[in-house]
Amino acid sequence: MSLTQAVFILLGGMAVLGALGMVTLRNLFHSALAMILALFSIAGIYVLLEAEFLAVVQVLVYVGAIAMLILFGIMLTRDIVGRASAVRNRQWPLALAVSAGLLAVLAVALVRAAWPLATYAPAQGGVADLGLALMGPYALPFEVASVLLLVAMVGALIIAREARE
Amino acid sequence: MVPADFLPILVLIIVAVGMSAIAIALSALLGPHKSTPTKLMPYESGMVPVGDARLRFSIRFFVVAILFILFDVEAIFFYPWAVYFRRLGLFALIQIVVFVGILFVGYFYAWRKGALEWE
Amino acid sequence: MLPTLSVLNLNGAVPQIAVAGAGMLIMLIDALFHRGSRRWAAYLALLGLAVALARVVESGASAETILDGALARDGLGMAFALVLIVAAALSVLVAMDYLRREEHERAEYYALILFATAGGLAMAMANDLVAVFIGLETLSISLYVLSAFFTGDAASREAALKYLLLGAFASAFFLYGIALLYGASGTTRLVEMGTAIRLAGTQADPLLWGGVALIIVGVGFKLALVPFHSWAPDVYQGAPTSVTAFMSVASKVAAFAALVRLLVVVLAPAAPLTSALLALLAVLTMTVGNILALAQDEVKRLLAYSSIAQAGYILVAAVAGEVGAAAVLFYLLGYAFTNLGAFAVVLAWSRRGEGRLPFSDLAGLGFRRPWTAAALSLFLLSLTGMPLTVGFVGKLYLFGAAVQAGWTWLAIVAVLNSVVSAFYYLRLVVIMYMREAEMPLALQRAGLALGVALAVCAAGVILLGLVPGVALDWARQAVAVVLS
Repeated sequence: MSLTQAVFILLGGMAVLGALGMVTLRNLFHSALAMILALFSIAGIYVLLEAEFLAVVQVLVYVGAIAMLILFGIMLTRDIVGRASAVRNRQWPLALAVSAGLLAVLAVALVRAAWPLATYAPAQGGVADLGLALMGPYALPFEVASVLLLVAMVGALIIAREARE
Repeated sequence: MVPADFLPILVLIIVAVGMSAIAIALSALLGPHKSTPTKLMPYESGMVPVGDARLRFSIRFFVVAILFILFDVEAIFFYPWAVYFRRLGLFALIQIVVFVGILFVGYFYAWRKGALEWE
Repeated sequence: MLPTLSVLNLNGAVPQIAVAGAGMLIMLIDALFHRGSRRWAAYLALLGLAVALARVVESGASAETILDGALARDGLGMAFALVLIVAAALSVLVAMDYLRREEHERAEYYALILFATAGGLAMAMANDLVAVFIGLETLSISLYVLSAFFTGDAASREAALKYLLLGAFASAFFLYGIALLYGASGTTRLVEMGTAIRLAGTQADPLLWGGVALIIVGVGFKLALVPFHSWAPDVYQGAPTSVTAFMSVASKVAAFAALVRLLVVVLAPAAPLTSALLALLAVLTMTVGNILALAQDEVKRLLAYSSIAQAGYILVAAVAGEVGAAAVLFYLLGYAFTNLGAFAVVLAWSRRGEGRLPFSDLAGLGFRRPWTAAALSLFLLSLTGMPLTVGFVGKLYLFGAAVQAGWTWLAIVAVLNSVVSAFYYLRLVVIMYMREAEMPLALQRAGLALGVALAVCAAGVILLGLVPGVALDWARQAVAVVLS
């Protein structure tokens, strides 16, 4: 077993542990912390895959911003911090079945796929290629993405302003 | 860069986690345990705490956090362009200007609607 | 290689630019002078939609791409875009008086409708799965916010939260499906993806099948197909009625546009399996939607279940793949007029501050409000599929396409379902005309804009029902020009 494999197993284990903790912990705040562990481990996996830019984005956006927003959300909500919440309801067998089905589909697809070996190795974590792609063939999604961010901003302001009044 | 270049970061994480774990474990193992109600207070022989430490945050934090995320994502989109903007040329510049322009509409809107004021 | 401006051919993206641009203009003007009536925002929205519509009609279809291959200007995309723009314009008209009556008149409403439409237009014309996804998200996020637009209202908030959570869940499925399809084909462009899949053969590739399954689950959520429908009744009932009207039409048009393009351009080689899967979903959706609709006693919720069942009928033709594309398009055009019209009547009659319209409130309205009641009867008959309405012609073509493609049993199930649906649609008509009101409803005066919208919807239903030829030819010619 090479060092890379060892690190992968470590990071993968941490990600799974974080994900499990997120859905099983009874305290919502602890769930959020477990989610941060999972997100952070995934950033490590991106590093192993030599996608450094993606790893940086993962840490900046997901760990740095989105996880923070979720923690804010929990603290903004009355009476849920520090209180144990139910982690199961009556529909958990159904949810288990759906999750198991999804796992089966993904596992079969990923294990049995004939992964073609990439012939192209992007340099410098792929930033240059990403820039070329965003400005070229993906110009449309790029510009629509800014409209998407705009919509999110308007939506947050409308909902938050009313809540304050 | 190859993953090996990130080894120092991994080592740092392990050291940081390890040291805090050792510190907590040692004090739990070696320290004397004689707890009295006074000693368990947040500020021993200080102010008597009033109310719950878990306050509800103001919704304004949420607005600020959302705006932060949106502009954070925007900055991420700049990065691949900024690194190679000379090679990407004029057309890419126009694209970025449009991108920023659209978000600036949102910024202007948020500003005029008073979302940036704390009151 | 980076494209130059001439390669991009921005001219073809004018509909999207006009719609999104009008939305931004509304936000800017509102931020600068936020006083008084917001009527101007509605007019500006209509203007933007009119520019987009003119552009779609005038430029016509050609099997070429713009924006470096990201958008297809083909007949299929343009035709669905046209239906979407018409639906959005009607939604603006429907909302104008309603928002004022409910004291939630704000310029942002129209901006969000426009952004949602721009996202839907991107979906309808996209030749790239990433563009489809971003368009879908723009549409969905606008709809989440619009569902919560009556912020003081607990039902509206609850609807928005349910919609957001399940919608985000569905998006994750869709995105994972895109990733697997990219893994299977090495491209996100639909046309090239189709070529890659055809060349590779479909027998053994588990990535392809996994991707198709996940994408169908994602689209199924957005279209509220059974068993992915559980969010729809609560969201349709809780959201402001004008939003429900828009959502029930716009998100279906955009999602069906993307689904038809996927089926025709990318998944044609995989047709046997995708058709079987979609046929199963169609049977479930029609049957469950209709049976649950029978048990309702409130018009808005009834129309929610009816919308679920209607998606099932449309799926019957989608099963037929390329053969059914024209039927899907024509039916959606008719459905836009019919469903928006029906919700417009609900909105005109419901009590102030209350989205609900219980059946008992309808009693006696047939004579107190003869014109509106006649319009609602017309829409309900069209939803049933009675002759002389667009619903009849539409269903004829939907089920005909299924028979033509060899899905006769599916068409029979669909006809039986239509018979079941007649019970609950016609019951409303009976209540309106045959029952005396116990407590007469205090009716609001319907505004001019709402009247215009109702008239346009009714005219559309009758004209497309009486002389469907022109529109059918248009639909057939449109889907014949598909970029592939």
